[in-house]
Amino acid sequence: MGRYLLKKAGAAVLTIIFVLVLNFFIIHIAPGDPARILSGLDNPSPEVIQTLREKYGLDKPLQVQLVTYFKRVIKGDLGHSIVYDRPVWTLIKERLGATLLLTFTSAIIAFVLGSLLGAYSATRQGSKVDAALSFVAYLLYSMPSFWLGLMLILVFASWLKILPTSGMVNLRAPSTGILHYLDVFWHLILPATTLSLVQIPAYYRITRSSVSGVLKEDFITMFRASGMDERKIFRKYAFKNAILPTVTVFGLHLAYVVTGAALVEIVFAWPGMGRLMLGAIYRRDYPLLMGIYLIMSLSVAVTMIVVDILYAVLDPRIRYT
Amino acid sequence: MRKYVSIFVALVVAASMLAGCAQNSTPRPKEGGTLIVSHQDDPISFNPDWKTDDYAYPINQNIFNKLVTLDPRYNIVPDLATKWEVSPDGKTYTFYLAKNVKWHDGTKFTSQDVKWTFDTIIQKKGTAYNNLQAVESIECPDDYTVVFKLKQPYSAFLGFLAWYGTFVMPKHVYEGTDWTTNPANQKPIGTGPFKFVEWVKGDHVTLEKNPDYFKGAPHLDKVVFRIIPDANTALQAFLNNEVDVAGVRPPLSEVGKLEKTDGVKVIKFAAPSRYYIAFNMRKAPWNNLDVRKAIALAVNRQEIVDKALKGLGQAAKGFYTPAIAWAYNDKDVLPERNLQEANRLLDAAGLKPNAEGIRLKIDLPYFQGSEWADMATVIKANLKEVGIDVNLQQLEIAAWMQKVLTDHDFDITILNGFQGPDPDNLRLRVGSNGNLQMMGYSNAEVDKLLDEASQLTKVEERAPKYKDVQRILSQELPIVPLAEVTSIYVFKSYVHGMPVEDGIGKVTFSDYSLVWLDKK
Repeated sequence: MGRYLLKKAGAAVLTIIFVLVLNFFIIHIAPGDPARILSGLDNPSPEVIQTLREKYGLDKPLQVQLVTYFKRVIKGDLGHSIVYDRPVWTLIKERLGATLLLTFTSAIIAFVLGSLLGAYSATRQGSKVDAALSFVAYLLYSMPSFWLGLMLILVFASWLKILPTSGMVNLRAPSTGILHYLDVFWHLILPATTLSLVQIPAYYRITRSSVSGVLKEDFITMFRASGMDERKIFRKYAFKNAILPTVTVFGLHLAYVVTGAALVEIVFAWPGMGRLMLGAIYRRDYPLLMGIYLIMSLSVAVTMIVVDILYAVLDPRIRYT
Repeated sequence: MRKYVSIFVALVVAASMLAGCAQNSTPRPKEGGTLIVSHQDDPISFNPDWKTDDYAYPINQNIFNKLVTLDPRYNIVPDLATKWEVSPDGKTYTFYLAKNVKWHDGTKFTSQDVKWTFDTIIQKKGTAYNNLQAVESIECPDDYTVVFKLKQPYSAFLGFLAWYGTFVMPKHVYEGTDWTTNPANQKPIGTGPFKFVEWVKGDHVTLEKNPDYFKGAPHLDKVVFRIIPDANTALQAFLNNEVDVAGVRPPLSEVGKLEKTDGVKVIKFAAPSRYYIAFNMRKAPWNNLDVRKAIALAVNRQEIVDKALKGLGQAAKGFYTPAIAWAYNDKDVLPERNLQEANRLLDAAGLKPNAEGIRLKIDLPYFQGSEWADMATVIKANLKEVGIDVNLQQLEIAAWMQKVLTDHDFDITILNGFQGPDPDNLRLRVGSNGNLQMMGYSNAEVDKLLDEASQLTKVEERAPKYKDVQRILSQELPIVPLAEVTSIYVFKSYVHGMPVEDGIGKVTFSDYSLVWLDKK
């Protein structure tokens, strides 16, 4: 197991380096010049643009910029943002909490609800409930998150007036202590619901097909023939066997928690990383973008290793050597 | 200069008369309360003069002051300078500063702060650098007097001082440090009506009342700028009373509905900003006047106002903004729409239609955003009628800048922009070396007129020069003006003393020092 992990970690590091180099070139190939953007559209002076280029090393050849960047990253320094003139890591840290709160909450809700509903449907295949659930799942699957979010705002905030439209805290009545957490929770409901709803279909469909596949296997028929209680078969044998693909999907979703909620963050004015990333893209803030990509690829790599370990825990047949 | 002073005096008189009327109909200002303003995105930082930063600008107007500033109608009004003089040769500007001004940390404000600020902008190439190129030296004869010496007369100088990137910064905080990374960029210290309290990144910026404000303490206890990037969400937050002032412009299609909504005030007026088509005159067929003229004849400007701007705006007629009336030429205007004539000109230019009726295929890059997309679509349909097939290319702003401003890789494009604060802005947009002149247009007479006009000091002498420039533009058509931009201010009717209502002649666009709330 230890050797396996070491091998995995080594592969992960190589992948991350490869991804970073690739990203570096891709974002520089995209048309656009941060110095021009920073000098504005109302009165862009060539001298100001030149000064900005020199200050941020944008006048140097691309390969020189790449080497400089990697030398820094190896020392653990993600560099300074071209736009904000602040350390990239500080900018990321400020946003990480809000993002993780939103994405983790909805990933877990979607995982639990999606796989439960999927399993439920699988045991009642062809019933009206199954048909209805499948229909809703397809509907949600095809729904853009930002549109769904706006609809939820219109219904629950503007029409029913029971929830706030957006933001993270009530600025009319700032609170502290436990009330502050309740306030954040209150503001979390709509964005987390939106993000869960669009993720549920993935869990629902994979669990449904995986459970119904397992239920058709010989060993289940065998248990049935032995007269075992249907619920016990499901709980003890079928579900455990069927959950592996669902865990994979969960892992994949978790890997994108860092930036995956950008559109929902925009609609609900949630102060997260996704918005920071989109802003960095629009303004061509290369160091900030590279920093975000680095965090993203790290989280993907780590999650993948964790999922592998989880496999072995869930299924004793899987052993890594 | 005399003109400026007289404009100013007239404004003060008008404003005090307005204030007098207002007192009869509305009660005395109520003290206290928190004003919540929706705000599109995070500022870059609170260094107000370093980078172009439209998301910091409205907030900075409450934290900092300039020497002179622009009121919501774009008049130049006093700020830290209570009065000023211009020497007869137009090369020396003397500003007399208010004497009871303190920085938010208690330090006294003096002329040294002004000198340091402008020296630094010039040295470090801050965002206003381009507008300060005429400055030769800045002197401080005493603590409350600043003298700007110019290399040559520059009549737009005062307007540019009042405009952008010219907030006076605290010398005692910044001197000897890197102004791009000074901690005060995160926790600004200004002289303005409100003091900085906190900036929760991506969520809000909170300011509190500055009781020692030199123009008198503001009525509000707090102003909170709440960051809501999505215009639809921002509109719902405003309608649901989470926000008092719509700092995020509502979608244009919703403005009509808002005007009919109880408890909501909508104020609209023509802004000195306009939409226009720019031709890439470096390449054929745009180097041919007849082809440009054909486009001007084919485009339906009223349809653009109706469909793309949802009726909020005015079809353009002349070649400068009518909002800066003294410089506007209403004689030399665009021709009426005439498809027959447009077709004739295109035929004459040798652009014959093929079997499908297509004369020409062209690229039109434009920015993201629904009004731009609608505008481009109308132009595409209009030009189709004269056999020009337009390929629409929607680009984000960074890619547009690269393609149009740097690479000049386009046929025609559309853009808008502020035409002020002074008609010297025309140099930027149509002068041979203008920083925003992407057409490849060069006319020695235009350049000469613009240079001369910028060095004259009297409005009466400058106006004919600018009118002449507009006449030449109407003949040579490097651009086709499309529509005038409308400024739209939306706020709750319990918000009184808004700059756009009661601040004319007194405060700038988003300075909330006169605002008070009449809420139960």
